[in-house]
Amino acid sequence: MGAALVIGACTLTGRAVAKAFAERPRQLRALRSSLQELETEIVYGAVPMQEALEHLAARGDPLVRKFYSLVLTALENMRGRTAAEAWSEALEKWQGSTYLTQDDLVTLRVLGNSLGVSDRLDQQKHLRLAGEKLALGEAGAWEVAAKTVKPWNYLGLLGGLVIVLIFI
Amino acid sequence: MGTLKPFSDIQVDKTANQSLKPGGSPLEMVLDLLPSNLSQVLSHLTPEILAQVEEIRIRQGRPLMVRCHQREHFVNFNGVSQDSDRAYLVTREDVNRTVQVLTGSSLYAVEEELRHGYLTIPGGHRVGLAGRVVVKDGQVETIRNIAGLNLRLAREFPGAGSAILPYLVDRHTKELRHTLIVSPPRCGKTTILRDLVRQVSSGVPELGLMGRTVGVVDERSEIAGSYKGVPQLDVGLRTDVLDACPKAQGMMMLVRAMGPEVIVADEIGRPEDFQALEEVINAGIKVLTSLHGRDLSDLEKRPSTRALLERGVFERLVFLSRRSGVATVEQILDGRTLKPV
Repeated sequence: MGAALVIGACTLTGRAVAKAFAERPRQLRALRSSLQELETEIVYGAVPMQEALEHLAARGDPLVRKFYSLVLTALENMRGRTAAEAWSEALEKWQGSTYLTQDDLVTLRVLGNSLGVSDRLDQQKHLRLAGEKLALGEAGAWEVAAKTVKPWNYLGLLGGLVIVLIFI
Repeated sequence: MGTLKPFSDIQVDKTANQSLKPGGSPLEMVLDLLPSNLSQVLSHLTPEILAQVEEIRIRQGRPLMVRCHQREHFVNFNGVSQDSDRAYLVTREDVNRTVQVLTGSSLYAVEEELRHGYLTIPGGHRVGLAGRVVVKDGQVETIRNIAGLNLRLAREFPGAGSAILPYLVDRHTKELRHTLIVSPPRCGKTTILRDLVRQVSSGVPELGLMGRTVGVVDERSEIAGSYKGVPQLDVGLRTDVLDACPKAQGMMMLVRAMGPEVIVADEIGRPEDFQALEEVINAGIKVLTSLHGRDLSDLEKRPSTRALLERGVFERLVFLSRRSGVATVEQILDGRTLKPV
């Protein structure tokens, strides 16, 4: 009975670690595609920020959608607030539910500061730059995921077995 | 012809549509739109001053100021002062945040407005902008590094036009007469025009004036204060507004498309405006318009307006001044005989 519990717990831990490695590139990809959408809205549609955020909060990856709806809520809650402030506030709340690294979050934070403060061309530059940085992180993350996801899945199970064997 | 009371004394017309304004004075709503540090400073103004504010001046590195009917005040955390050294100094951050907040963090979406040098914000208030202007091919492309803002509050005075309206309606046909309002800047020209639009559009039973379909060419977004195409100020039930549209073209568009009975344009001045006006009149549509000027001799000096006077295009000429408060009616002349009515 105890042995089964130990093996179960270790397997789950292994799965969780594997998931973290598998999720980060996926989340980065979803974020990147949302930034492309934002670019389309801003640069080609000149859609006001609030409306653009509404669009982003209504479709796409659930986690990324959640982020944009947090920004939207922060923006609407208090008038007299800039999108940059709402963005950074939402980021604080949201980052806990992601597998993003500090580097990824810094990229997003920097992007937030320039959101909506300049003309279309300049906005495009900032969005592209952030997109490229996330893409770099994503490429690395895929590689890491390919190497680590499977081992971690087994490592949990095997580790549990080892512990059980030692105690028996 | 007697003088009108200043706006602050005018009794508010109860028939005016108040539902357009969701409560609070215009200034309170604007304070709501400003970044918190500026609205905090301004919230220390006394109610008497708050009620009179016409403009808020936000200039980087210089004192925060409000302009009332008669004078300008420096603002600080204790209210107002006449001493510029004790005033709140506007920081770069203040200006940047104000621009961001007023554009809804969408500076990229107001490029056309930047080219004209002003924005219209919810409530119909106008924000004039100053800063570094970027020119391309001899045309203003945009304003970068915005360093100064002038927030002009749009104030509605329902009933501001009531005193002159009876002179503008033909006693027999109950039709509006072709009217030109002449006034120097800041004398309430646009406010009176807006109220006349509202009354003509909704109708005034006491004068036997039925509601008319009114078309407004609002080149500078001042009459209707449109935000995203929707008038924010009460311009009556039967009013169509072409917002930010050049006047001459706009008048023709209205004639062709909207079937107006009255066409309104503010501050005509260019030759093509006068030409368009005459076409409108020839089409059997009444015109209600305004012009910068002081008095009759002023109009007679300018070739374009002299020609209009000589041909008797307008039936009524209304002259305004600030002699005893904003919107003092100096004279109402018959446009054909040039004699007071």
